[in-house]
Amino acid sequence: MGALAHYLEAKGIATTQISLIRVHTEKIHPPRALWVPFDLGRPLGVPDDPSFQKKVLVSALELLNARSGPVLVDFSEEAPVGADDSDAAQAAWSCPISFSAPEQAETDLEKQVSALRREMTELMPWYDKRRKEQSRTALANFEPDAAAGLLCDYLLDQSPEPGDSEMTLAVAIRLAVQDLKTFYYEAASHQPGTTPPTSREFARWFWTQTAAGHLIRSVSEKCKTEPDKTLQMTGKAFLVPMGW
Amino acid sequence: MARLENLTEPMRSHIADLPCPQFDHTPWVNVPELANQRIAIISTAGLHRRGDRPFGGMDGDFRVIDGTSKAEDLVMTHISTNFDRTGFQQDWNVVFPIDRLRQLADENRIGSVADFHYSFMGAADPSKMAPSAENLAGLLKGDNVDAAVLIPV
Repeated sequence: MGALAHYLEAKGIATTQISLIRVHTEKIHPPRALWVPFDLGRPLGVPDDPSFQKKVLVSALELLNARSGPVLVDFSEEAPVGADDSDAAQAAWSCPISFSAPEQAETDLEKQVSALRREMTELMPWYDKRRKEQSRTALANFEPDAAAGLLCDYLLDQSPEPGDSEMTLAVAIRLAVQDLKTFYYEAASHQPGTTPPTSREFARWFWTQTAAGHLIRSVSEKCKTEPDKTLQMTGKAFLVPMGW
Repeated sequence: MARLENLTEPMRSHIADLPCPQFDHTPWVNVPELANQRIAIISTAGLHRRGDRPFGGMDGDFRVIDGTSKAEDLVMTHISTNFDRTGFQQDWNVVFPIDRLRQLADENRIGSVADFHYSFMGAADPSKMAPSAENLAGLLKGDNVDAAVLIPV
């Protein structure tokens, strides 16, 4: 991010930026930067809090009033902690759906695929309800069934088709994983009687309690064994977050 | 929180050890008062309009986001899986604060909002972004942009 500011400013466009990693900004010395102590992925602090977001944005923009630099300023506030962010609430959140038990007489991989299908069937009504009520979905490339289909076909050696002739299998697998996670988030957070999970609680649930998380780990492991280096790299770095 | 000391391993070491480009000087452009500036957003969250090319690798290229885009038009295909996406899934402004920028224009705290905004995929090698950034500077000038606010992810 700091390098981009450097390149643009050198070509005559003034820049100000938000910084999430202060040590990087200290090394790069971009012209103007506001360091914020927020989660990675949340540079404006919190969703659905226009007042706080505006405060952050104004703080970054006001650095454009400086007459010389580089300028690196710390934002003075932590992101607001909502009721659902408290430790107690995080510990208490769980998906209300109790997923069905696996069928017998299937291979391990087939069991994983079956379990994923059952989970998705049980989540789909809440996803459909959300789509009817909200115009926006963060699904980027694949509808939920298509994302699952690609990953299952890959895992079972059944000629996975990216669906786009210009898309490599490695990119398609990465995007399918992202869209499958998005489906789980949008469905699980729209069930009656539940509030949207925090990012940490969703990650804990998804990666430790769902068949989808389990299957994605298997996809990751299979990618690592491929002769294709982009698939290897995808399996090593781009499917399962560090620490999970 | 994105305080390095609060991240757990191996994420902390991964972030701390990422190579950063070094520059021997900091370029500087003076601009009019904020209330008279035309502002564009440049994100590195790997955002693009639905149906546009997803970010596929480390090419350092960018996507154009028309200022008329709505929240449902914008998707994220950043290559990293190591940051929170649930915030963006709830509210695009937590990553792409276009509604906040428009509010500031309505309140005359900035001059105007650019017609076009842009997104890179921040995991790309910064040196590969340099040629794209130079092209982007021309596009921003063509849109009469005074300043860009750069938003990481």
